[in-house]
Amino acid sequence: MKKNSNDSDSLLVEKAKEGNEGAFNFLMNKYYPRVYASLFSFTKSKEDSEDLAQQTFVKVWQQIQSFRGDSAFFTWVYRIAINLAKNYVASSGYKKQRVNSSIDQLEIDISSNENIESMLIHSQSLDDIKDFINTMPEALKTAFTLRESEGKSYEEISIITETPIGTVRSRIFRARESIVDFMKKELISNE
Amino acid sequence: MNDIKEKISALYDGELDHNEIDDLLKIIDKDPNLQEQLSLYGLAGLAVHQDENNIVSIDSGNRENKSILSNLWFSNGLTAAASILLTLFIINNVDISRMNISEDSTNKIASAINSKEAKDIAERSEEYLIDHILNVINDPNYMNTQEAIDLRNVGFRHNVAGGYKYSNGNENFQLRVEKKNLGLKKIRYWKHGKKMIYVVPLSDGRVVTLYGNISASSARNIAESLTK
Repeated sequence: MKKNSNDSDSLLVEKAKEGNEGAFNFLMNKYYPRVYASLFSFTKSKEDSEDLAQQTFVKVWQQIQSFRGDSAFFTWVYRIAINLAKNYVASSGYKKQRVNSSIDQLEIDISSNENIESMLIHSQSLDDIKDFINTMPEALKTAFTLRESEGKSYEEISIITETPIGTVRSRIFRARESIVDFMKKELISNE
Repeated sequence: MNDIKEKISALYDGELDHNEIDDLLKIIDKDPNLQEQLSLYGLAGLAVHQDENNIVSIDSGNRENKSILSNLWFSNGLTAAASILLTLFIINNVDISRMNISEDSTNKIASAINSKEAKDIAERSEEYLIDHILNVINDPNYMNTQEAIDLRNVGFRHNVAGGYKYSNGNENFQLRVEKKNLGLKKIRYWKHGKKMIYVVPLSDGRVVTLYGNISASSARNIAESLTK
């Protein structure tokens, strides 16, 4: 079955709608960096970005039944973050609102994202990662960028690169692993 | 372990076999290291999108990128304030200090964001446009859902091999037509990495969006051709 980026989350979203916390946690971990980075660019505050990101995903969990799939899931998540950012703007004396009372339905653990936050604060880190990607073997870089930048499905990448789908899957994984290794060795260790 | 991680990578892309998902989710739930691995995959993707995510709102009356913020965003009152809000809300990881913007301009932005008029605007308008622009930049398929349009009269061919893209050899773009008006009375456009997003209201009430490596004059010609 042909997949595209618009429906790549659909199965996980459906599972999350059915109350599958594992599926929701997967989506949250997947999109946390993008949400956090967006909020940080706006607030310039680690603490406020943490709070807003956490509030974003609490709302996503609470409102996921209303997501109809008219747009990409991340677009919908982003809208929720935007609305929270509006409230941030509207409250002149923004007071931290810990969401303890709201998370009794779901235990959200963002502790695993501490390193991500540290890295995102330094925009140079993203430049370093991008530079590293440019040094990767062409086959890995091509598969990875076709997927991440162009939103191509594995099947489409398979056709474009004239390689089996299994090889495409492996190359994208190896590319991600290389980038993660680079981040862990070169960036996190330098914090 | 690599087998598990490869499956996480595949699920990240929505490409894992359905019957493998539940077991994998249970494994990830029990392992904080795998959860961090997943977020690092997300961060790796963010790095790829970094340039594209630096979105700059450009007023249609001036194209001097150098002084976009100081000269344009504050040039026309309410619209300028709304542009600031929209732009800041949809920027990913933008670093204002890297955009050659003075501290004074940055302070003006902060002031405009917190102004009453800006808040009012944010509350009552731009909502649909924000959705639209978010879809353009976040959903690669959003611009590819419509039938191809014959643009040969303005020098562009539909490039089937590259999906629903149009090209004249030098300029390449995607196009989408909305039947409903988005409340626009003039052309709005944004710089999105190396690409441009033009949202052009047509005389017949429709709105056309062009996204790609294309000049404003070409975008205008194409838009005009759609109503002839």
